[in-house]
Amino acid sequence: MASSDAYDLTLEATQFSPSVSTDWEQGCLRMSGESYPENTYEFFAQVIAWTERFLNATADPLTLELHLSYLNTSSIRAMIDIFDLLQDASSEGKEVSVRWLYDNRNPRASELGEEFKEDYTFPFDIVALDVAS
Amino acid sequence: MTLPRNLDDALEAQILELLADEQYQGHPLRLALEELWEAMNSQLDRLERITELSDRYQKAARENTLHLAKRYDRQIRLLERVLRISDRYQSMLKDLNVALREASTHDLLTGIANRRLMMDCCRQADLQFAKQGIPYSMVVIDADHFKLINDTYGHDFGDRMLVELARVFRENLRSTDVCSRWGGEEFLGLMNQASLAEAERIVERLLESVRSSSIPYEQEMVTLTVSMGVAEHEEGETYADTFRRADEALFVAKRRGRNCYVVAPPSGAASGSRHLSESQPAGPASSSSPPS
Repeated sequence: MASSDAYDLTLEATQFSPSVSTDWEQGCLRMSGESYPENTYEFFAQVIAWTERFLNATADPLTLELHLSYLNTSSIRAMIDIFDLLQDASSEGKEVSVRWLYDNRNPRASELGEEFKEDYTFPFDIVALDVAS
Repeated sequence: MTLPRNLDDALEAQILELLADEQYQGHPLRLALEELWEAMNSQLDRLERITELSDRYQKAARENTLHLAKRYDRQIRLLERVLRISDRYQSMLKDLNVALREASTHDLLTGIANRRLMMDCCRQADLQFAKQGIPYSMVVIDADHFKLINDTYGHDFGDRMLVELARVFRENLRSTDVCSRWGGEEFLGLMNQASLAEAERIVERLLESVRSSSIPYEQEMVTLTVSMGVAEHEEGETYADTFRRADEALFVAKRRGRNCYVVAPPSGAASGSRHLSESQPAGPASSSSPPS
């Protein structure tokens, strides 16, 4: 569903922040990398703004595909804020989901996904990525 | 008003009746009563308004408190969650650190110490020797005919052989000793608190264990042999000097036909005496003896 609110967000990964790319048409937000930016709130404000805009502008499904190998404390806080937005949208009947991808060489990263997943009722899949091969 | 409601109502009715009665018109008490009655009613109105406002404020304050308490609970829960996840990341990083340290100090193939860790251990041994005079010895070990084995049986077999050798070394060295893969098919053993006599006992045991071990290859069992050079650390040396003497002794062992160990002679006072000659007492394990 085309909307005048539609826009996409693309942020290149840096040493301190993950790459971010969105696809409004497909209803998808991808983040990949490590996250310990100097100003976490400024960085995540863009991601939160896009997510809010999407959820407010359309009833289309939204999927977050996250492959985050490291998050500092304020990034964790920001991710919880984003998941809370998804939970609110889900409570309003919107179709939202998270795919939490982790490197299968580091199984402890799946426990982190589990920890994030707790409390949420929308689909939150924890998926091992076969990176070794 | 504190009067009971019915009494209050009766009084009110009575006053209204008196005020309406024509016969009291112009009476000064009637005028006073009328003014009092109006003043009282106006006060009552104010009191009601005040009560109403006060109730409204109280309600708002109560709602605010409830709202704050709810927000506070939510923030506490959020904080606890953030901390829990953050702790997990921290402990994951700690584990990764340990794994990285392990990877940077151990040989990938054999799992024993690598050159970097061995050099640290040697420096430590040098320090202990310098400070407390604690002796140590070194053994340089080289797998015999390794190139031939690789060419004949393949590199996978060569790798298996190195793994097997590392296992034999680990089992036969003492727990305080360090065994490392120095490079290729060469290993270095550091025997802490071992004089030459003690080192020789260990090395003899090592040689025997290697001789009696074998690795299956298709239908045959391939036996292994190694050559070794042993040296005890001496006053005025660094571990690099001790290593050089042990390495020279290894060279002699190779020349003597391999599958044996040779003990390096003491370095002596003169620097030229470090060079090993074939005439020095050295040879296969059975005939080798420490230099006097």
